[in-house]
Formats: sequence, C-alpha cells, structure tokens
Amino acid sequence: MRSSAADRTRPTPLDGLVVLAVLAAAAAIFYFFRPVSGNFLTARIVLDNELVAELPLSDLTEPVTLEVPGVRYPITVEGENGRVRVLHSDCPSQDCVHTGWVSRSGGQIVCLPNRLVITVTGGAAEADAVTG
Amino acid sequence: MTHSVRRLTRCAVLTALALAISVCEGLVPLSVLIPLPGLRLGLANLVTVYALCRLSGRDALGILVSRCLLGAVVGGNLTALAFSLSGGLLALGTMWLLLRVPGLSLFGVCIAGAAAHNTGQILAAMGVLASPAIAIYLAPLLAASVLTGAVTGAASILLVRRVPFDEGKP
Repeated sequence: MRSSAADRTRPTPLDGLVVLAVLAAAAAIFYFFRPVSGNFLTARIVLDNELVAELPLSDLTEPVTLEVPGVRYPITVEGENGRVRVLHSDCPSQDCVHTGWVSRSGGQIVCLPNRLVITVTGGAAEADAVTG
Repeated sequence: MTHSVRRLTRCAVLTALALAISVCEGLVPLSVLIPLPGLRLGLANLVTVYALCRLSGRDALGILVSRCLLGAVVGGNLTALAFSLSGGLLALGTMWLLLRVPGLSLFGVCIAGAAAHNTGQILAAMGVLASPAIAIYLAPLLAASVLTGAVTGAASILLVRRVPFDEGKP
C-alpha cells in the first residue's frame, strides 16, 4: 500500500481545499484574461509612428475592409463588430496575418516589415467617426 | 525474471485498457453536452490513478507515455500527442505528489489531476498556437474539472478498492 488516500472512501476536508484552490485558480484566470468590456473599442492603425486610420470597432455592424495606404507591402485590415485582424498582407513574415483577430483593449497586431502597428484601445468614450 | 514478466504484462494490460478507454471516450465526446473545447471526462486518468496507487510511479509513467504514443499512432494526429502528453504528464506529476499528502482522498487527488491535465493541455495549445490569450479557456475548464475529477475520483475509489493486485505472490 503506497498511500493512505487509496484507503479512503469518503471525501475529506482537505479535498474541499483542493476544490477551493481549483475554483480560485479558475476565477483568477478568468479575471486576468477577461476581455476588457469596453463598449467603445477602437482600432488605431499606426504606420511609421503616424496615425493613418481609426476603426470604431464597437460601432461596426458589418465587416469592413481597409487597404492601408502608403505601405511597402500591400496590407488589408478587416474590422468587424468588436474585433480586428489583418486579412491579407504581402509581407514576407506573415506574422500580422497569423496574429488573427484581436478583440481586447490593449491587444496589438504588428507588421514589422511594414512598420505598421494596429492597437485596440477602448473603455473610454472615444467613439469618434472613421477617418481615412 | 517472473517478477519482471508479471510487471510487464500488468503494464501492457493497463496500457491497452487506457488506450481503449480514451478511444471510447473520444467516440462519445462530452463537449456535445457542454460546448467547451478540450472538455472530456478523463476516464483514462483512472488507469493512471490505479497504477499510482497499486503499482509504482515508474509503471504509471510508462503506461501513460505508451498510451499517448499509441493513441497518436491510432488517431494519426501528431499535434494531439503534444496535448495529451503535456496534460497527462502534468496530471501524473500532480497526483503523484498529492498521493503523498496525508489527509487527502482520491476525490481530491483526481480533481487536482483533472485540473492539472487541463492546465497542461492549455499550456500546449498556447505553445502550438503562440497565443497567450488562449488561457481564458482554462477558467471554465478548471471549473469543469471539479465535476469531472469528482466523477473519476469516485470511480477510482471503487477501482482501487475492488481490484487489488496480489503483490506478495510471485
């Protein structure tokens, strides 16, 4: 017999502690990784440190695509209600495409070859109009 | 000689059993009832618990690794190997440690094992998909592991009590 646990047939108080620990871990993970519930998510598209476009993600009712002007490798950004992604890019690394959808405030998509950064910001009431 | 043959056959039978259980479990996915990616009852964990309680940690490890390798061959899915190995190894390590804690029953051990298994799988998914945001899936999976772990815990208590291996006899 290797362990006293093998002999017990009923849960012990310490089992309850295990349950509590697991549930506490679940709650902590949910808290830290929860999507920031901003009603005003905005995707800021910054090229060479210059803001070239802003997409008010929370106001979008249907998907919109945007060809970013003035980039080295043609890149298409797709935004829909609450999230944004790089739909297509001609850049060699394709990291921006592989990042996929970003839907949380603070999330980023970076296209290094294009020196393009898409940042999702939100929470505050900055639901401005689209700028091109 | 006789001893090592006995040990080998025990482990082989348990490996076959674990493989059969995990294949059967895959046929009736629990995620039909609760739509949560990665959710399963973890019945194959019963074999790990049994091996830990009645055989040894080494045997349990051998059974687990063989089961995962064979499962990947049978299922023909190499990415699944990373998931099942990381989950299984983390669960095995956690349960091996907790079985040494006095005052716990197999309920607690199995619940912690289920939670560790889910954690390992999510860690593998974060590695494969290179996206830390996947960790959000771990929260509901951990909560569910309290239930699935309690079910496998109850089953393992019956199993470990009713099926003792006669250690003394050659």
